[in-house]
Amino acid sequence: MLARIAHELYWLGRNLARAEFTARAVEAVFQAELQGTSESTPGVSFGSGGLLAMFGDVHQSPRTSPALGQLTLDAERPGSMLASIERAREGARTVRDVISADMWEAINTTALGLRGGGYGWAGSNPSTPAGPSLASQYVKERTALIWGVANRSMLRDEAKCFLDAGGLIEIADMVLRMLRVALPVGDSASADGHALILLQAVGGFHAYLRAVTAPPNAHPVARFLLFERAYPDSVAACVDSMHEAFAMADAGPRNSKPVLRVSRLAADLDFQRRAIPDGAELTGICEQTQQELNRIDQDVSERYFAGAAMAGARG
Amino acid sequence: MGSGVQTAGTDAPIDGYRPQAPFLDELFEHDGTPRATARALVEGLRRLGADGLSEAGRRRDAIFMQQGITFETSGGADGAKSKERPFPLDLVPRVLSGEEWRAIKRGLAQRIRALNHFVDDVYHAREIVREGLVPWRLVASCSHFARAVHGIRPPGGVYTHVAGCDLVRHSDGTWKVIEDNVRIPSGISYVLENRAAMARLVPELFASYRVRPVDHYPQLLLHALRAVAPSAESEATVVVWTPGPANPAYFEHAFLARQMGVELVEASDLVVRDDVLYMRTTRGLERAHAVYRRLDDDFVDPLEFRGDSLLGVPGLVRAYRAGSVAIANAFGTGVADDKAIYCFVPEMIRFYLGEEPILENVRTYLLSDPEVLEHVLARLDQLVVKPTGESGGRGVMIGPHADERELARMREVLSAQPDGWIAQDVVRLSTVPTVGPDAVLRPRHVDLRPFAVFGERIDIVPGGLTRVALEEGSLIVNSSRGGGSKDTWVLEEGDESDRAGAGGFPVADTQPPALPDLRYGAWTGQQQQQQQQHQQQQRQQQPQAAPRPCHAR
Repeated sequence: MLARIAHELYWLGRNLARAEFTARAVEAVFQAELQGTSESTPGVSFGSGGLLAMFGDVHQSPRTSPALGQLTLDAERPGSMLASIERAREGARTVRDVISADMWEAINTTALGLRGGGYGWAGSNPSTPAGPSLASQYVKERTALIWGVANRSMLRDEAKCFLDAGGLIEIADMVLRMLRVALPVGDSASADGHALILLQAVGGFHAYLRAVTAPPNAHPVARFLLFERAYPDSVAACVDSMHEAFAMADAGPRNSKPVLRVSRLAADLDFQRRAIPDGAELTGICEQTQQELNRIDQDVSERYFAGAAMAGARG
Repeated sequence: MGSGVQTAGTDAPIDGYRPQAPFLDELFEHDGTPRATARALVEGLRRLGADGLSEAGRRRDAIFMQQGITFETSGGADGAKSKERPFPLDLVPRVLSGEEWRAIKRGLAQRIRALNHFVDDVYHAREIVREGLVPWRLVASCSHFARAVHGIRPPGGVYTHVAGCDLVRHSDGTWKVIEDNVRIPSGISYVLENRAAMARLVPELFASYRVRPVDHYPQLLLHALRAVAPSAESEATVVVWTPGPANPAYFEHAFLARQMGVELVEASDLVVRDDVLYMRTTRGLERAHAVYRRLDDDFVDPLEFRGDSLLGVPGLVRAYRAGSVAIANAFGTGVADDKAIYCFVPEMIRFYLGEEPILENVRTYLLSDPEVLEHVLARLDQLVVKPTGESGGRGVMIGPHADERELARMREVLSAQPDGWIAQDVVRLSTVPTVGPDAVLRPRHVDLRPFAVFGERIDIVPGGLTRVALEEGSLIVNSSRGGGSKDTWVLEEGDESDRAGAGGFPVADTQPPALPDLRYGAWTGQQQQQQQQHQQQQRQQQPQAAPRPCHAR
């Protein structure tokens, strides 16, 4: 398939995943910040400041509502949900011939709804205090619908592989960012407070409860989000699925740099899961894994999208 | 803040609100000015206005119906079909200061500890009876007294793992206990769901308050259950036992099981072999170490309690006696929440703990004494009469609200069966502004049911379930009889009126660590190029457009 198309699909996946992740995180932080801190002081800190830091933003304002507003409907901010959805729509528009009509419609409707504030309830106004929450709810529902339509209506070919791979690398990257921002530094036992907010921010609270018996403290939660293969949004599961996607899309997966790199990262995560003792600090792993993902991203661009980059240089 | 009172338009429903003497209103002073803790809330309600309130009410009903958070109202005496309706959450929260809460919490912990001692005593040495403080006749005649568990002491000596005492606030501001629930108190799921709904519906009301969270309750409960489970292995298996989906509280059972991440079991899933409790799984029998049961003693084991129970597990009491399984709450705890025993709780606190009760009882009359009975019959129209073994507001008669025929009938019943009833002084329940169907705020009576978890120690979730009588003047708050509920806010200590003027959300998180390599642009090499390209294209198309600031770096 055309390198340009593959590139667009990859980024369409990334933008959709990013919008969805932001929606969940904004909702979780919004709910948590309305209330005070729990009796047991948490070692994990993840609030609107942390959320902004995830997107490489400076922690400027201590007020919650503007910060969350920036992450939802501020079109000027590349990290906002609206901006992600708008980019996804732009991307989808250029590949309308590849994706199904249903899917294009689903994405387009999402962007239009979010732009006009016509989501959720009649007369709701995005600038009201409930705005971030309503917008998050809307984006969560819509992205679930978009992925559902994609899974049911797209051919399982190269195109779908790039779309999926984009979504997967984005989720893994976001989870790692979140962990790096939120995890307590230093490995004293006292820093191991409740980490419910991290699970809520990825929508994995119930999955965690069913998979892990330990209380949701920082270390077990971080391990779960990094290593638990049965949980689809964990880093390990994303890397596994990414490997499948690239191996299928690649013409010669046996000597393809991105495939080999992803495969090595998957094996490495599996090794780390066994090698790292419970309660050990995980911030180092998060950092290394994220850098490795960055390299994978570069390799992917070089191997598959070289033509697209050239086309970009043309302008 | 005070100046804002006059500036709002006439359509703000809070403006016409007047507290109703002689009752204490929890948000307003008697002269109609907001209390210190409520000023910011009242201001928020004023800003919300009638339209905002009714809009939020519509969204609330839709959300509760979608999530299946509903309540079945009994059709009443005429046998009409029960109706499913969204759980009635009122949008005006109740606010308790941190200081007030601390006193309630201490009082509850004291009371629950004493009740636990009492249950232990009743099934063992019976010291309190020997001391002549509680008549044995009264204990043995309790409908929930369980001979089958005599002499059994559960792990840790804890019987009342989950307790919910009903509190009311008298017009002089003191808190009184009106009822103890140590069998299967329900309502905690509504506390959690109410808070989540409030945060979604009216987040602006939370501004300038620091409300203590409640969502850690399932973890507290799970921890307590694990702590009492007799398990040699590292992780004990905990289950929630429900009578089945037909139970009115099934929503809560499923909610707790899901929130704790444990199995929700029914009787058919459980089996006792050689005095050990197992559950049937796809991989054969698996042991269950702790059971949080949500059905009455009567039904748990047909071999020991009611023989006709189809909801029970034969042999469960034997397993319990053998110590291979922990049951929460323990069998036989119902003896402590009998309404006749209630009168003796202050005595229990003095006897077992050697302390003075922090929370008072409502004055109660035991009718077994003929003199008391005579006194009560004479002023029945000023008292509340309750059957001892019932719960959920069934059979309660409120004297001042009853007509002559009802009073006469009650006099007959009491004379015939004085042991089955108690009489209490009428408590002037405090009021909180409550949204009516027309979005106008009016004073309505409330009570409070805080929830305590007793494992290694006693933990009490800040606040609890505030139940509100939705009818004017009504004192019946039970949701099965048309009552509603309110979100209960316990403020962080030191977070009183002084914060109200600060006008901003609190800073909840600390400065995140600096991560120099974590830049938004780091992963978007391609994307940036593309953006640039888009911008250039746009600029070519509309040369007059101002260049947009690029935040990518």
